[in-house]
Amino acid sequence: MINYTEHTLANGLTVLAHHDIDTRMAAVNIVYKVGSRNENPDKTGFAHLFEHLMFRGTKRIPDFDKPVQEACGENNAFTGNDYTDYYITLPAENIETALWLESDRMTGLDITKKALETEKKVVIEEFNQRYLNQPYGDMWMLLRAMAYKVHPYRWATIGMTPEHIAGASLGDVKEFYHRWYNPSNAILSIAGDISEERAIRLAEKWFGGLKGEKLPVRRLPVEPLQSEARRLEVVRPVPATSVTVAFKMGGRLDRNFFDCDLISDLLAGGASARLNQSLVKEQGLFSAANAYVSGDVDPGLFIITGHLLPGVTVARGEAAIWSELDKLKNIPVSDYELEKVKNKFEANTIFGELNVMDKAMNLGFYKMLGDMSLLNGEVDIFRSINAGEVIEAARSTFRPETSSTLIYHPEKH
Amino acid sequence: MAMRINERPPITVPGKIDICQPGSRVLANGVALHVLNCTDQDVARVSFVFRAGTAFQRTPFSASSAANLMAEGTKSFTAQQVAERLDFYGSFYEVSLDRDYAVITFVSLLKFFMQTLEIAREILLLPIFDENEIAIYCNKRKQRLAVERSKAAFQAREIFSQSIFGPEHPYGVSYPESYYDDVTREGLVEFYERRYTAENCFVVCSGKLDATTIDAIAALAGDIPHGENSGPGNFPAPHSIRSKYKKYDGAVQSAIRIGKLLFTRNHPDFVPMQVVTTILGGYFGSRLVHNLREEHGYTYGVYSAMANLEHAGYMAIATEIATEATRDALEQIFAETERLRNELVDPQELDMVRNIMTGEVMRVLDGPFGIADVTIENIQNGNGNDYLDRFLDTVRSITPEQVRDTAAKYLDKDSFTIVVVGDDPSGGTFGLEK
Repeated sequence: MINYTEHTLANGLTVLAHHDIDTRMAAVNIVYKVGSRNENPDKTGFAHLFEHLMFRGTKRIPDFDKPVQEACGENNAFTGNDYTDYYITLPAENIETALWLESDRMTGLDITKKALETEKKVVIEEFNQRYLNQPYGDMWMLLRAMAYKVHPYRWATIGMTPEHIAGASLGDVKEFYHRWYNPSNAILSIAGDISEERAIRLAEKWFGGLKGEKLPVRRLPVEPLQSEARRLEVVRPVPATSVTVAFKMGGRLDRNFFDCDLISDLLAGGASARLNQSLVKEQGLFSAANAYVSGDVDPGLFIITGHLLPGVTVARGEAAIWSELDKLKNIPVSDYELEKVKNKFEANTIFGELNVMDKAMNLGFYKMLGDMSLLNGEVDIFRSINAGEVIEAARSTFRPETSSTLIYHPEKH
Repeated sequence: MAMRINERPPITVPGKIDICQPGSRVLANGVALHVLNCTDQDVARVSFVFRAGTAFQRTPFSASSAANLMAEGTKSFTAQQVAERLDFYGSFYEVSLDRDYAVITFVSLLKFFMQTLEIAREILLLPIFDENEIAIYCNKRKQRLAVERSKAAFQAREIFSQSIFGPEHPYGVSYPESYYDDVTREGLVEFYERRYTAENCFVVCSGKLDATTIDAIAALAGDIPHGENSGPGNFPAPHSIRSKYKKYDGAVQSAIRIGKLLFTRNHPDFVPMQVVTTILGGYFGSRLVHNLREEHGYTYGVYSAMANLEHAGYMAIATEIATEATRDALEQIFAETERLRNELVDPQELDMVRNIMTGEVMRVLDGPFGIADVTIENIQNGNGNDYLDRFLDTVRSITPEQVRDTAAKYLDKDSFTIVVVGDDPSGGTFGLEK
């Protein structure tokens, strides 16, 4: 349970504050409502490259990290499909250093040609390290391109290809910054050993002087309903055959999201869950199997994935996955099993908000989603789902004609 | 509209870290129980720490298999029943294993903690090591290890340990995946009975704990059986080699590990070396990050740190570098170590590093469980929680001269072991031994 105060500045900046008396630390989190889904299809990976550039200094403060570190702080950021998140944690008495830095880079970024060129190389190395030089590293790239044909979720946040990153220009940087980085497109959340009233006052002090801009409305292309099963088989230098099946599911605010989230816990929410018990232990087909939801704001993906044990055919592995899905569609889940995943969800929720960074990040995330009642309300939603609803959701979600199947075959030596 | 302000706010560096001291008692069987009662959140955690790391195993994979299979079937419950119960209570059960220790941790909401302890009792005291579960586990692990070993960075880590300790040394050895086929029930039972004993154990609990809960933990910990207090056994002197190149066909990046054996945490130069490795590569914006990432764009990340084991300590630098930049990156890394040995660190830079290290300690302590991890580490090193204040005193009092002299003493280029896993485009070995 996170209590908070909300306030909107005249320039449009949303401020959320939570007083945590259990700590000496504070966390300052800023969400910008822009992610890879807002990119031009010819310039993918740009939102993430831009996030890197936010650490390359402004006219007034040439080095962003140094003042944070001098204040005993730590900072980082991540880019998603829907939003970009920046955070700083530091001793509460130094909170103004974080606000000073964040307000400065919200409008004062100063990127040189050299900084851009170096950062492009860094991001290409990130591409190499995390996606190309890893077994199964390109799984999400392949899956997205197969499952989405129109919506920008068809590419991963890192981008479709390193060439798009290499092609980014200073002009692109300026345009993107001007368009998306301003108070009216941002959410500031503060959690820590500081009263909510003072946090709001400090937000006014440091951000009140920034000019707000009206945001251009950007309509994203709507992904047409999928009506045919899709399939891709690739050969890669991987040690084991992997089977992945993805289904279209509801957006983050859709009731179907919560149904699917619960179903993913039935399948894979712990050692006792169905995929581990059935596919790994009883049938001995997979060395590991998992199910999860992508959690995107727009309609996302429900993923089931596993590594086959040696000697098991792809057909057999796939059939076993579909048979688990058929059970979900036809056999009502027991009260005991429902209660189990609900308990687990409640515990996960509480364990996911134990320190100041979790709390500040959660505040920003739910505000970005646009429904603050979910911040402390998701456990109740989970608790309200019954066996009939699970069957309905399974039937409407796990249909062959909305599935995309990806197989990795190991190279033969 | 308010005036735009941009003058820099003043900074306060927190003084003493007011860390919670555990209440400790020794149970009848000799197990020490440490209680950290310092949160208002309705959660609880207990960690059972055993000197049961891989260095103690007599047959390959027996330490990790024993630790991980304790929950896969007990006297009263099948593996599935154990898993069902833990999941039903929303409890977390975690096994963490290193060369020296196995740490078995249970975390749950306060309202389910007593039930969680009942399962913990079964797992810790009554595992049966069922043959069928062992077979499933070994198949799974064998494949997982193969997946890990297909990553250049993982290979580099294993080869680095072999290269600084020696391929047979308990801290250096790694085994082929196929050795999972030879894991036997007898081997696991032997390991469990020898290492999961009162003589090898201490317990740390934290959360919002009342007397009844603490008594229940004490009752469980007090039932851990006696056994022989066997030492580490065969602990030969390490033997380091200078360099090792392993070809990884088609690698777009080289995984690099550079480092050397030094000393354990209680050596007087350990903390000064922590400062040195932090300046070198211990934070974002460190000298190596600045050079290799921000100036050259050779890498997404580079890191250096001191590592501490029971009988040895070492320093290591780790990075993944664009293949074509590998040779220059190696030169840049040694240029940075030489600079630390020969030039005084700027007082402002040193101040910043002190503050980073102070902030790091505070961050680890944030939340109800960080304190438990810190306490475990301190006990393992023979220290109390007042160690943190002594650590920070040393960090705060170190001078630029001491930093330089420490670096000069330990960062001699010719004393390093260099490991590269990659694909030298010239067909060579980046100048390293094969």
